[in-house]
Amino acid sequence: MGRSLMKYSGIRSVLLVTAVLTLLQTAAIIGAAYWLAETISALFAGEPLARQAWSMLLFLLAFAARHVMTTLQQKAAYRFASATSAAMRRELMEKLFRLGPRFSSVKGTGNLVTLALEGVTMFRSYLELIIPRMAGTAVIPAIVLGYVYWLDVRSGIILTLTMPILIVFMVLIGLAARKGMEAQWESYRSLSNHFVDSLRGLETLKFLGQSRAHASMIARVSDKYRAATMRTLRVAFLSSFALDFFTMLSVASVAVNLGLRLVNGEIMLFPALTVLILAPEYFLPVRMVGADYHATLNGKEAGEAIQAIIDEPLDDEPARMLKQKVETPVAENVGSMAGALPFARYAAAEKPTVSLTLSSVSVQHEAEGACSLKDISLHIKGPARIGIIGASGAGKSTLIDVLSGFKTPSGGTMNWSGMPSGSEGNDGGWRSGITYIPQQPYIFSSSLADNIRFYMPDASDEAVRGAAAAAGLAELAGQLPQDIHEMIGGGGRPLSGGQAQRVALARAFLGGRPVVMLDEPTAHLDIETEYELKEQMLQLFRNKLVFLATHRLHWMPDMDHIIVLRQGMVAETGTHEQLLARRGVYYEMMTAQQEGLH
Amino acid sequence: MKSRESWLAPYVARYFWQFAIIVGLGAIALLSAGALMFTSGALISKSALRPENILMVYVPIVGVRTFGITRAVIHYIERLTGHHVILRILSGMRVRLYRILEPQALFLSSRFRTGDLLGVLADDVEQLQNVYLRTIFPAAASLVIYAAIVIMLGTFDWGFAIAAALYMGFLLIVLPCISLLLTHRKNRAVKRERSHLYQKLTDAVLGMADWTLSGRHAGFIRSYEEDEAAVARKDAGLRSWARWRVLIGQMTVGLAVVTTLYWAGGQYEQQLLSAPMIAAFVLAVFPVMDVFLPLSDAVERIPQYRSSYDRLHDITARGGGDDGNSVAAGGHSGADSRMMKDAAAAAKGQAPISFHNVSHRYSEAEPWTVRELSLHIPQGHRIAVLGRSGAGKSTLLKLLQGALIPGRGAVTINGVSAAQYGEDIPRIVSVLNQSPHLFDTSIAHNIRLGRRDATDEEVRQAAKAVMLDEMIQSLPLGYDTPMHEAGRRFSGGERQRVALARILLQDTPVVVLDEPTVGLDPMTERELLSTIFRTLEGRTLIWVTHHLVGADQMNEIVFMDGGRITMQGSHAELMNHHPHYQRLYRLDRPGAPAREKRLSEIV
Repeated sequence: MGRSLMKYSGIRSVLLVTAVLTLLQTAAIIGAAYWLAETISALFAGEPLARQAWSMLLFLLAFAARHVMTTLQQKAAYRFASATSAAMRRELMEKLFRLGPRFSSVKGTGNLVTLALEGVTMFRSYLELIIPRMAGTAVIPAIVLGYVYWLDVRSGIILTLTMPILIVFMVLIGLAARKGMEAQWESYRSLSNHFVDSLRGLETLKFLGQSRAHASMIARVSDKYRAATMRTLRVAFLSSFALDFFTMLSVASVAVNLGLRLVNGEIMLFPALTVLILAPEYFLPVRMVGADYHATLNGKEAGEAIQAIIDEPLDDEPARMLKQKVETPVAENVGSMAGALPFARYAAAEKPTVSLTLSSVSVQHEAEGACSLKDISLHIKGPARIGIIGASGAGKSTLIDVLSGFKTPSGGTMNWSGMPSGSEGNDGGWRSGITYIPQQPYIFSSSLADNIRFYMPDASDEAVRGAAAAAGLAELAGQLPQDIHEMIGGGGRPLSGGQAQRVALARAFLGGRPVVMLDEPTAHLDIETEYELKEQMLQLFRNKLVFLATHRLHWMPDMDHIIVLRQGMVAETGTHEQLLARRGVYYEMMTAQQEGLH
Repeated sequence: MKSRESWLAPYVARYFWQFAIIVGLGAIALLSAGALMFTSGALISKSALRPENILMVYVPIVGVRTFGITRAVIHYIERLTGHHVILRILSGMRVRLYRILEPQALFLSSRFRTGDLLGVLADDVEQLQNVYLRTIFPAAASLVIYAAIVIMLGTFDWGFAIAAALYMGFLLIVLPCISLLLTHRKNRAVKRERSHLYQKLTDAVLGMADWTLSGRHAGFIRSYEEDEAAVARKDAGLRSWARWRVLIGQMTVGLAVVTTLYWAGGQYEQQLLSAPMIAAFVLAVFPVMDVFLPLSDAVERIPQYRSSYDRLHDITARGGGDDGNSVAAGGHSGADSRMMKDAAAAAKGQAPISFHNVSHRYSEAEPWTVRELSLHIPQGHRIAVLGRSGAGKSTLLKLLQGALIPGRGAVTINGVSAAQYGEDIPRIVSVLNQSPHLFDTSIAHNIRLGRRDATDEEVRQAAKAVMLDEMIQSLPLGYDTPMHEAGRRFSGGERQRVALARILLQDTPVVVLDEPTVGLDPMTERELLSTIFRTLEGRTLIWVTHHLVGADQMNEIVFMDGGRITMQGSHAELMNHHPHYQRLYRLDRPGAPAREKRLSEIV
């Protein structure tokens, strides 16, 4: 378990410190046993109590020193563990941002958040436990045993023999328990899941008229679960039973053996007492490892899961791969004006001339798998409205992801020109020219105003209000008790799908970026909301380079240019009228929607 | 405080004797460790006196061996018994929680919007086992040992018994109390700040596209790390105290050993104690004090349980009376219930629905969600309901299912008030909503939930009707394939088909379709809708929808806004008289019919 530990920075010094502290601690343990045995045997021999003050004091000091050492060890381990786990979390966060939103949605948001919070904490406890335990098991038993041998060889032999037996039994029982678990894993999983599954399906059960009767089912499955758990526990607890049993038996054997030899006069009281006091200390480090086994295992696994994400290969660096040409910073002044001016001014500002060239861009998810985009070549000059359509799985979202920089193509090149330069670092300055509106925009847990000015944190309230009005949010804001400063999102008032979409739209209005990407922005909304939003979105599209991927064909007549995708390739391009005249894929899609249900 | 006990006190009373046994066993196991060292010390000192006969040390030898074995064996038994009883209590708690939640089933999703509260509640119940296993049982066992040892020592020497009582009492009571006082507030602060971090991180992960594109992600990471560092500082404070606490505890042990030495030596000098007893008493101090050391930790856990208790308590409190009005009474008295059964049986064949001038609001303070709504739906009629979110559609459905009782007006099915059907309503109305739950059992079981006594053949027929039979047959285990495996292979449309098969078996005259096609692509949507309309021929359909695809298949289309019906009529009527409807319809059918001409002109 130790090898993977060695790669953390600072591990050597903390191990060294812990080792030195453990050595001192062992000396203190032996010292405490020595002086305690000495005091007892002196009293036993009839020496007066008053003469024992010195050895009693020495015992107390040694005993205190031992525990001070423990405290210092823990402190050193804690310091190292929190620094290391914090560094790991930072790396994880950086990496998550570099891997981008697609990775997060594949892995599951809940999983990642839990990993970053709970996982890191578990990993910290693992480090915190493992370092003193490693030093403890390596140093204490060996030295204590050596001292016992020096005092009394026979006791030494008993202790030596017990340790391997103890460990073998512990491991064997552990393996048996795991095997038992694995054998009934499937039924165990479904039993343990049954209750939460029932609660989640409560509404469905109610609709089916089964919810009342289901209570007895819960009782029955709970009982089965209990029986299964008890079967497992009977074996699992055996492991700590073995630990207990052999330790106690060994101490008892040492005691009886010493007693018998004392009767025969083969050994003196003082060494016998010392051995007896040291015997439990000999086993203590191993018992502690056993007690912390599960905590360390969980922490180790959490650490590995985090490391796996950190080591996740980036497709490659977007900045390096995509040769970006930032030629004319036309839109730059637009950005800097936004804070000061109500949005209406710059909506009508100079036309940004952004252009995009894709040459044979392909996206392949797995090395062997099929391409989700194949050999896409395009040249587009803005402002223009580009519709992207196709059946599900044709590659619409993938294309939007590539254009927005969330996905790096596995082949081909993409060139943006005329985008605002700058923004942060080298990972795609062109991104700061893009507004992205997904199907379900995320609403942050903050005020409505801060949500709207997410892309423009310095925008004035006045500008925010302007954008909100343009996106059709004025009415909502008017109804809120705190107007645009009302808290929304996870920690505040929840928004409907249409309202969330309007917030995204307001962000886009306020941001005034020259390129807008939309991925199925209205399909999930009710048709009246969709109708209104469409009007407002068309306002946003003016003088911008817009890419709109959707199933909803009603958008197409409003597009200047339509790209029809089929199986990851461009099937045809043209205007609505041109494509209808071609009687190709587009015409088929249109006519399919003309027909009623059958 | 009292209600918090309701998830604790009743169980202590009911399982008192089992608990007593567990605590007793725990005490014996812990005492055995002390007794082992006591007899060992006595044994070797007695042996050191070199008795003539080995039989003189026979008793301590037997004692040592016995205690060496009992400690491990009893501890094992105690843990098993403890878990056995606790798991039984948990079974009861699960059923109890379920029974509390069951009547509110239809309101759960709207009430607990944030997160997966149901999952959290299930975890809370699991968490309660730690209250017993980690806190109550060890604390009770320590108390027993405390009393036993003080009484035992009292038979030797009252003075020393009091000293021992003080030492042990310090570890048993004083240190845990100090610890709780010192850490209580900080623990709460850490917990609060961590939940804030949770929210912040969720914001980061879900809103990642926005952070990245806005170029603000570096700033976010910085601010997040600052917050983490603040929590880490508080946590470090707590940990530092924990280390001090252990050190203080151990120092107490050291002093107790010295005190015992001093006392035993003094007693021996006065010939009140025999020589072997010195080692016996002194060596026993370590394992005995070890019993009390972990208690501070056990007590510090108490605040951790609190949120679990509070949530369960909240649910319990809500379970009693609902939001003031309107929730249908679940049970009927005997005669009443039989009458309703007859009414349900009668409605099984013919279930005309009537909303007569219905208004409803959730409380006096809130606005009306449905206003003066009248609607008559004869058996076999198909009606589509459209409207924005908050237009009153879901209230309308709850009124129909009898889950809400209208504040004014009446909702009747076959002439009987909908709420009166109570538990029998699923025999008349079935529901296919946006995300029907597929349970973690086999596919066959999931379909059979529609009617428990359905034969295998009926299940197959239902699957065939929804065009899943072939797909299911192709799975390795066929109909016995576990859902959680099949679920991964099932697309959104196929999952809806499983739920539809369930509804076919449920065989009700009225079927509510609550946006079953949201999130499906147009092809899948159209295919699913045609399967739905084909298989549900002859039933009354109440279809809440956001699109107008399939609207022409309906007898009537109703638009709602602000709880009122704003537009109503058949597709043909609406197309002819309402330009707004025409505009909306064109979104779903671009080119039709106004554009149809143009389309054909171009072609």
